Amino acid sequence: MMRLPASLLFAFTLVVLGVGATRGEEPPLLKADVEAGKLPPMAQRLPRTPLVVDITRPDWTIGRYGGELRTLLAKDRDIRMMVVYGYSRLVGYDDQLNLVPDILERVENVDSRIFTFHLRPGHRWSDGQPFTSADFRYFWEDVANNTDLSPFGLPRILKVRDRGPRFEVLSDTAVRFTWDEPNPMFLPALAGPSPLYIYRPAHYLKQFHPRYIGLDKAKAQAKEAGARSWAGYHQKKDEQFRFDNPDLPTLEPWINTTPLPSTRFVFVRNPYFHRVDKAGRQLPYIDSVVANIADGKLIPAKAGTGDVDIQARDLRFDNYTFLKENAKRNQYRVLLWAKGIGSQIALYPNLNVEDPEWRKLMRDVRFRRALSLGIDRHEINEAVYFGLAKESSNTVLQRSPLFRQDFRTAWTKYDIKAANALLDSIGLGKRDAHGLRLLPDGRAMEIIVDTAGESTEETDVLELVRDSWRKLGIALFSRPSVREVFRKRVYSGKSMMTVWSGLNNGIPTSEMSPDELAPTAQEQLQWPMWGQYYENGGKGSEPPALPDVKELVDLYEKWRLSGSPAEREQIWLQILGIHAQQVYTIGIVSQALQPIVSRNRVRNVPAEGLWSWDPGSYFGMYHPDTFWLDAQETR
Amino acid sequence: MLRYVVNRILLMIPTMIAISIIVFTIIQLPPGNYLESYIAELQAQGESVDPQKIAFLKQEYGLDKPPVEQYLRWVGGMFRGDFGYSFEYNLPVTKVVGDRMFLTIIVSAFTILFTWAVAFPIGIYSATHQYSWGDYGLSLLGFLGIAIPNFMLALVMLYLANVFFGTSIGGLMGPEFIGKPWSWPKIVSILEHSWIPVFIIGAGGTAGMIRKMRANLLDELQKQYVTTARAKGLPPGKVLRKYPLRMALNFFISDIGSLLPHIISGAEITAVVLSLPTTGPMLLAALKSQDMYLAGSFLMFLAFMIVVGVLISDLALVALDPRIRLQGGVAR
Repeated sequence: MMRLPASLLFAFTLVVLGVGATRGEEPPLLKADVEAGKLPPMAQRLPRTPLVVDITRPDWTIGRYGGELRTLLAKDRDIRMMVVYGYSRLVGYDDQLNLVPDILERVENVDSRIFTFHLRPGHRWSDGQPFTSADFRYFWEDVANNTDLSPFGLPRILKVRDRGPRFEVLSDTAVRFTWDEPNPMFLPALAGPSPLYIYRPAHYLKQFHPRYIGLDKAKAQAKEAGARSWAGYHQKKDEQFRFDNPDLPTLEPWINTTPLPSTRFVFVRNPYFHRVDKAGRQLPYIDSVVANIADGKLIPAKAGTGDVDIQARDLRFDNYTFLKENAKRNQYRVLLWAKGIGSQIALYPNLNVEDPEWRKLMRDVRFRRALSLGIDRHEINEAVYFGLAKESSNTVLQRSPLFRQDFRTAWTKYDIKAANALLDSIGLGKRDAHGLRLLPDGRAMEIIVDTAGESTEETDVLELVRDSWRKLGIALFSRPSVREVFRKRVYSGKSMMTVWSGLNNGIPTSEMSPDELAPTAQEQLQWPMWGQYYENGGKGSEPPALPDVKELVDLYEKWRLSGSPAEREQIWLQILGIHAQQVYTIGIVSQALQPIVSRNRVRNVPAEGLWSWDPGSYFGMYHPDTFWLDAQETR
Repeated sequence: MLRYVVNRILLMIPTMIAISIIVFTIIQLPPGNYLESYIAELQAQGESVDPQKIAFLKQEYGLDKPPVEQYLRWVGGMFRGDFGYSFEYNLPVTKVVGDRMFLTIIVSAFTILFTWAVAFPIGIYSATHQYSWGDYGLSLLGFLGIAIPNFMLALVMLYLANVFFGTSIGGLMGPEFIGKPWSWPKIVSILEHSWIPVFIIGAGGTAGMIRKMRANLLDELQKQYVTTARAKGLPPGKVLRKYPLRMALNFFISDIGSLLPHIISGAEITAVVLSLPTTGPMLLAALKSQDMYLAGSFLMFLAFMIVVGVLISDLALVALDPRIRLQGGVAR
């Protein structure tokens, strides 16, 4: 609250200084080029109706042009984060998680079945070429339906019950996708941090495509470049998300200018970017973003020494005290944003474990409930998270409109007595000399929890869980390994239980897909084989054996084909209700915090926010294109 | 002699083939392949990947082929100068390595020169002034140099530079030159920036070299021919340079064999800490992400350097030391 008067005063100064008063003022970086005639003036670079970014946050101000924003990435390949942060999408989420048109001028959606997209007339790619329906047609005809480029068919999201949409070009600036049945996944997929790209810079990619240059030339070109096939070469040039081809035109606010490999990547402003601020000045404010590559483990240290202007990736909560300590000396703030994942840490009983005795237990809801009741979440929160997290099951967070208090509290109260009573009722009453319960076949109950061995946070929490489970007569051992081994053990049913973070999307609305709550993918740690069964279209391995899990699949299928928002919300709540009662995953705490280092001179970074991959695109939904650098603050 | 050299060179071929098989097997040993560790890494960050795209890449990278076929393709390519394709960078390996190899050689060459320039005089001084205060003081420094890991020294230097000077000492050139073509100012910038890594990386090696030099020289100094030379009235400096020092140099030449691979792979961890654009961090990353052709090519190159280095040091020893030359001649 202290910040408010200061920022108001600041806004006032801006008005007095007359900054941003002139409409259409050129960014200084481009001025010379415009005056020399190399670049058309701003009015001609913008679409006829640009997107006006209007942020009403009290500490948000109209910015000034210029400057270089420094950040750190752990690998060359991480430059895709600039596409995540840039967050230029056909449709995107605003900071209230509403889906709004961004690149598109408007979307007409009939029953989630017929989607008509209207582009912004006069919108251009970063190289100045027009962005039109031809770019959609290129994707549809020459990429998605080309057997060399897409040997495995259309992207899965474009298929409803194995059938793709009808695609029509209505005009230069309008295209339509029509499915026979509703496809509610479509728009959220376009708004994702790693979006489904249904358009391509056709004018650029044509030079690699045999349809336009002939097969011989395409093949020869690819061979010369050292690629195995023309499709591989085309694919390599066409990585809109990887962002590793500086020649590929883009619609993002900043363009990558550095080819791989490098230790320093420079992204410069896109002169044809389609967004403006309230005063009609073209965004982004910041001229260039510089991403230096440093080892992930050193990034916290470097952030603490003031090597960055903004940094969140690769900072962890346990760096907080160190970062805070150096904040004043190196002139930065440490913000704490709420993480958007369902649980910071959760246990996953493997319902597909190969040991038949254990499999029976894991599939018994009483057993899972007892394990959940036997965790002292309050103690864990205080000891590991300074009491800043929330004790919770693995469900959606309070910010989500689908949140219900009883989902969060279901089977999470620490109650050893009730837990013991549940275990007794399963018939696990016999104990050995050490007080451990015995399985029906006489073995002592020892649960081995696999961890991916990446953080001490997991082992710290497991240590505390072990103490309280001991009171249930159950021993816990943790087995650290490495990611690939970890995954293999889970998939093959060798692992009994695993520890991982909870739901990837903790803030869903009913418009987002509930796929991670139903067995739909092998990587779901609680039922890998059932997930794989779905993934393979009902072939191989085993189908879900529990009635409630089958119901989850049915509900998910129903959601996928649902045409009405009310029904989709109903389905979501049903799914979450089943999860709360069935405790397929044992959430421990949620809403842990993500530290963000932001230099004092960087403006318009919200003090509080949501650090979420999808929806949110991390910084993306808070408009980094409106961040700006205050030259009056010292570097 | 010529036959010996030709024999040695011919012997290198089966050696390299054996090494290539071992390298390829070891790279394949960890579970999974590049794409699997790529998916795992993305998922750890909460990101997802389109299975269709993964299937396409698997086909494109040839990861769906049996290992033997992958191996033959890789080795076959190497004979034609094609070291395979780096999955991580989506580029041919040679393009990925590019400049880095050159920068690594610069840093390593400077480090070696630094090591020699410092270690030689100090080693000689320590040996000739055994048990003097100077010897004790320098030995203490030497032990410190051996005991402190390079990367630790780098971290300490980073911290001190930030606290006292408020600057960051990482990197090998001014930021404005990264990724730019070679130019005179760029070379100057590299020279300006390289002394800190050279000092840090060289510290341990220098200390070790001092100890070796001292020990070898001390052995020789006590031999009778030294006493004889002194008794005949040769000035001490000439005695030293003419006889014991030359004898003490043998260890130094046989060291070349291990020095050459060091040029490529030297000081990986230190390079990671200092964010040097050298090959060490790249090799490390390639091994971690199972970018098998990049990692494999690096390891093959290292192996090649060792084999060549050992050959060179053997030949140099034969050329320099008449004892080895004459005895070797008899045996042959």
